[in-house]
Amino acid sequence: MSLVQWLGHTAIAQAIHNSSWLFPFIEIFHLLALGLLGGTVILVDLRFFGLGMNGKALPELSRDIWPWTMLSLTVMIVSGFLLFMSEAVKMYGNQAFQFKMLFLALALIFTFTVHRRFTGAETGASLSGKVVALISMALWTCVGLGGRAIGFV
Amino acid sequence: MQWLANTPLSVSIRESLWGYPIIETVHVLGLCLFLGFTVMLDLRLLGVAMKSTPASEVCGRLEPWMVGGFAVMLLSGALLFYGDPAKFYGSIFMRVKFAMLILAGLNVLIFKKGTYRKVREWDLRGATPAGAKIAAGLSLTLWICIVAAGRAIAYFLPPD
Repeated sequence: MSLVQWLGHTAIAQAIHNSSWLFPFIEIFHLLALGLLGGTVILVDLRFFGLGMNGKALPELSRDIWPWTMLSLTVMIVSGFLLFMSEAVKMYGNQAFQFKMLFLALALIFTFTVHRRFTGAETGASLSGKVVALISMALWTCVGLGGRAIGFV
Repeated sequence: MQWLANTPLSVSIRESLWGYPIIETVHVLGLCLFLGFTVMLDLRLLGVAMKSTPASEVCGRLEPWMVGGFAVMLLSGALLFYGDPAKFYGSIFMRVKFAMLILAGLNVLIFKKGTYRKVREWDLRGATPAGAKIAAGLSLTLWICIVAAGRAIAYFLPPD
């Protein structure tokens, strides 16, 4: 908690907190990166079902898409961290925020382990691949729902 | 606008506890499908993403999903507007957003009637023609501004 309080009192956090436009300004980057992150996740996961970019093998498609997933994820985390800092203590106790962080951790672990192994394999449209794609989309959707709920709880 | 605001559905969206949060959530989730795919297509047209896939294939395969995503955005956006039409109509950012949406639509039309008609000539080239780059650059710029205007609507609503 003291770390959270310290974060909330840093100069950057205070500057965002006290500005009338910085918070929405950072949110714009968070939303734009959300569009790209969500889009790249959906694009790769649809491919498990033989939908969307179906002319390409899954490993090749995921290799093409991966840098954009990583770029958007980086922007999301940096902008999200700045938003968090500006309201650190309040956010830390916000249940929607806690839900979001839990599912973010799960989504990241799943993406970098199980999901990554399946996108790299030439197994095509196996049943287990489809389950992996569904779990991936479900986890990321929960992150988004948690984020959306922060402002409402 | 006042008449629209007094229709029963508008009143229930406005006064319901869950109305706005649910519709906004659909709007944000739809953003992933629509904006994410639009950005990927624009990046292909700029010659920076999915370079080994023919441009026409990227367009063709993404298009049905983008149309679906746009329908979700349009419907959820219209419902958000309909929940408080008088207020949103008075918002300068709402008007700016509308204007830019029309420009984004025109950009697609011009691209499809122009550079895209000769797509077979540049389909397999990583380096896309200037017309495709301009259309993609305009599209990215407009959608960034549309997201920014959308965000600004909520922060700068006219007083009741």
